[in-house]
Amino acid sequence: MVWTLGAPVPEEAPLPSSPPPGPGTAGRLPGSRAAAAPRGPGRRLLDRTLARPSTAAWIGLVAVTVFFGVQAPDLLTAAGAAGVLDTAALLGIGALAVGLLLIAGHIDLSIGMVAVSSALATGLLVGEAGWGIWPALAASLAGALLVGLLNGWLVVRTGLPSFLVTLAAHLVLQGTALALTRAIAGRTVLQGLGDAPGWSSARAAFDSSVQWGDGTFRISIVWWLGLTACAGWALWRTRLGNAVFAIGGARRAARELGVPVQRTTLTLFCGTAAAGWLVGTLGLVRITTADGDPSLMPAIEFLVAAVIGGCLLTGGYGSAVGTAVGALLYGVARFGVTLAGWDPLWFQAFLGVLLLVALLANGIVRTRLRAVPLS
Amino acid sequence: MSSTQGHAPLLEMHGIVKTFPGVRALDGVDLDVRAGEVHCLLGQNGAGKSTLIKVLAGAHQPDGGRITWRGEEVTLGSPQAAMSLGIATIYQELDLVSGLTVADNIFLGREPARFGITRAAVANAAASRLLTRLGHPEIRPTAEVGSLSAAAQQMVSMARALSQDARLIVMDEPSAVLDNEEVERLFAVVRDLTASDVAVVYISHRLEEIRQIGDRITVLKDGATVATGLPTRETPTREVITLMTGRAIEYVFPERRARAASDQAPLLEVQGLSLRGSFSDVSFSVRPGEIVGLAGLVGAGRSEILETVFGARRATTGTVRVGGKRLRTGDVGGAVAAGVGLAPEERKSQALLLGDSVYRNISISSLARFARGGFLARGSERAAASEQVRSLDVRPADVDREVRTLSGGNQQKVVLARWLLRECRVLLLDEPTRGVDVGARSEIYALVRDLADRGVAVVVVSSEIPEVLGLADRVLVVADGAVVAEERADALDEHRVLDLVMEGTAHQGVPVPATTQHEGDVA
Ligand SMILES: Nc1ncnc2c1ncn2[C@@H]1O[C@H](COP(=O)(O)OP(=O)(O)OP(=O)(O)O)[C@@H](O)[C@H]1O
Ligand SMILES: [Mg+2]
Repeated sequence: MVWTLGAPVPEEAPLPSSPPPGPGTAGRLPGSRAAAAPRGPGRRLLDRTLARPSTAAWIGLVAVTVFFGVQAPDLLTAAGAAGVLDTAALLGIGALAVGLLLIAGHIDLSIGMVAVSSALATGLLVGEAGWGIWPALAASLAGALLVGLLNGWLVVRTGLPSFLVTLAAHLVLQGTALALTRAIAGRTVLQGLGDAPGWSSARAAFDSSVQWGDGTFRISIVWWLGLTACAGWALWRTRLGNAVFAIGGARRAARELGVPVQRTTLTLFCGTAAAGWLVGTLGLVRITTADGDPSLMPAIEFLVAAVIGGCLLTGGYGSAVGTAVGALLYGVARFGVTLAGWDPLWFQAFLGVLLLVALLANGIVRTRLRAVPLS
Repeated sequence: MSSTQGHAPLLEMHGIVKTFPGVRALDGVDLDVRAGEVHCLLGQNGAGKSTLIKVLAGAHQPDGGRITWRGEEVTLGSPQAAMSLGIATIYQELDLVSGLTVADNIFLGREPARFGITRAAVANAAASRLLTRLGHPEIRPTAEVGSLSAAAQQMVSMARALSQDARLIVMDEPSAVLDNEEVERLFAVVRDLTASDVAVVYISHRLEEIRQIGDRITVLKDGATVATGLPTRETPTREVITLMTGRAIEYVFPERRARAASDQAPLLEVQGLSLRGSFSDVSFSVRPGEIVGLAGLVGAGRSEILETVFGARRATTGTVRVGGKRLRTGDVGGAVAAGVGLAPEERKSQALLLGDSVYRNISISSLARFARGGFLARGSERAAASEQVRSLDVRPADVDREVRTLSGGNQQKVVLARWLLRECRVLLLDEPTRGVDVGARSEIYALVRDLADRGVAVVVVSSEIPEVLGLADRVLVVADGAVVAEERADALDEHRVLDLVMEGTAHQGVPVPATTQHEGDVA
């Protein structure tokens, strides 16, 4: 039966009506709950930890690291770590932005294409129009933000599902960016951007690295961790953060309570667009080549990492740290498959399984610990 | 109160019109509220009360009419605009964000912040002051709201309204999820507020509450004001009901069947049922055609008993038999197959597909009946649903409407209709008339009795003791997770039940709560 009460509560499970955060069962007469098993502080801490969005991802991360560490011991060297972090960083930046949007109950499929087309735009401006790298980057950032604004505006104004709006944006961008590039430059791969003015400072910002042992750690890792920390802080301790959760968890209530729903939604869509631009730029500066191959940045991967990290597609739940752990998990698996010498196609299957397991684990943890009292 | 006489009105709404596609929800409503008074807004389900207060809160834009606030005409273009004037609203639907903490919810949108960074310590301290004032110091400001009980969540909504330092607080059916003691505490807060010249607009379907707390009454009917400014004390309840419904309704309970059903074998037998931490050793049986009521205070374990009988909670010990056959513990599917149905207490959150049509919501549990070779016979599905809609007086009586657009009370009726349509042998009803207006109540009582007469065994839980006494044949008094008395309903009266509850509670060595004297509220 689908209609009412959910699964039966197993006998030893915490009573749904006396949930983890203490004696919150107000509205009951004294004594009516007195018999409920008291919960020690240790138990409560455990419950709280388990109820965090990123818990399943952490466990998965440890499991996958151990697994591939055995299969391919190279993974646990400095070089291995650098490779994993490198993969995770680009992915993590996108996953972070997508994750924030998921918490607010929206989705952005165009972010991958924003990354590709802002790199192409920068490449065109530098290579064909002869701009300096910084002005070109500023212009492509402005373009990306415009796309984000447009996405957000359409979602807010029309009430259409963001899935469809951003899918449309993805297709439009894909078509226009490639066609324009081919029309102007005659090809869709723009090379040799390395002699543009300002290139060396751009490299310092987007492609410097430090050597540690035999691993090359790139600055993209700093960008990723820095942004994750900022976003985590913002979610936790700012008005914007509360608004994001409120919009995803109870949109109508949020509107009626005076939360700036539209402004926050627009901000978040601009955030994903900016993240797309950053990912595109990090890639562009690294290889001095803008490649219009749309398969380079499938937005689905960002989504997968965010969901593995505990963000719910339905909104209202998730964390910034979770998306980072999800991205890291993804990085370990991808790099591990390569190092272990498997056919890379296995990675896809592995990812699918991982996603399912993460979803199930998150679901179980949440229904057990955040069960809303039945009565 | 006499002190408010002669004050210029704080708020005047005049000729307010609000239309939704296909419905004229408000059609010229007038309301004036004075500082320091409790102004009660009455009307049947769907009369437009919630719509009116949403206009007042800035959540809906009216299509016509004037709003005057402290003598000046204003436009309430957004919730923020209303809040900044000093109008705070507690909505009928709980409007909390379950993933945020109590303090975050209380200050949502107005968080104490410096440079955009929220000051959690300040918010937590303020939240805990507010909750203490409401008599609930045990609700921790850092607890996640989704983990609180419905009553505690109501307190959080209330704390939010208080936190706004408002001149006018609107409360849309705040008492629906509260027990007597909490209602009393709410009233103390309301008196406190009015003493400091704050005005309160109070909506409730419990007329005895209005008598207790209200100063003046405005009655809405079909989106229009039919009476305004009636003094609460001098207006007889019967007159108010007549104004609301357009007819004189005696609060009548259907007649009990004269023939005692004692010869028949019990249909539902509950033996020594216990649920750890909730109730213990509950035994009772219900014969076909019999209505058994569970009386007691909120939290005494009544809802849990029903849920355990139904299998939604796994009993620690004890057995449940239906028609002599034992049900497996904790097996909802088995209970349903045996013909047991449960209409749960929190119907709205648990049971409705808000975006779907009324008839789909009604028929969803009985789809097998309408299946013809794998396809649904839409025609008969709709016809059966229409019949229920008519008999429960759901307004508007349009089965194709989205449930989302119905008023709160009408949504309740839709869920009830679903259970009435499903042909159960044993029907468990948890608070069947919560949020339902006086007119429809009588109809629900008649329907339940009618089902019983057709041989269904019914168990009813209600916090309103007169309802249990009037509707049931036999009453079990539950206090503190144990059945303390079992008697024929006509051998009990309200005071006796309350005494039994108190004795039962005291007996278990727990502090006796200061329960209010429940005044005779049968109009
Ligand atoms: N968003 C909406 N779209 C369409 N119709 C609506 C909407 N909101 C309310 N209505 C209709 O407006 C009418 C008044 O509803 P309202 O919620 O104000 O009633 P109410 O007096 O609060 O009733 P209750 O006591 O049941 O809460 C109802 O007929 C309802 O169906
Ligand atoms: Mg209402």
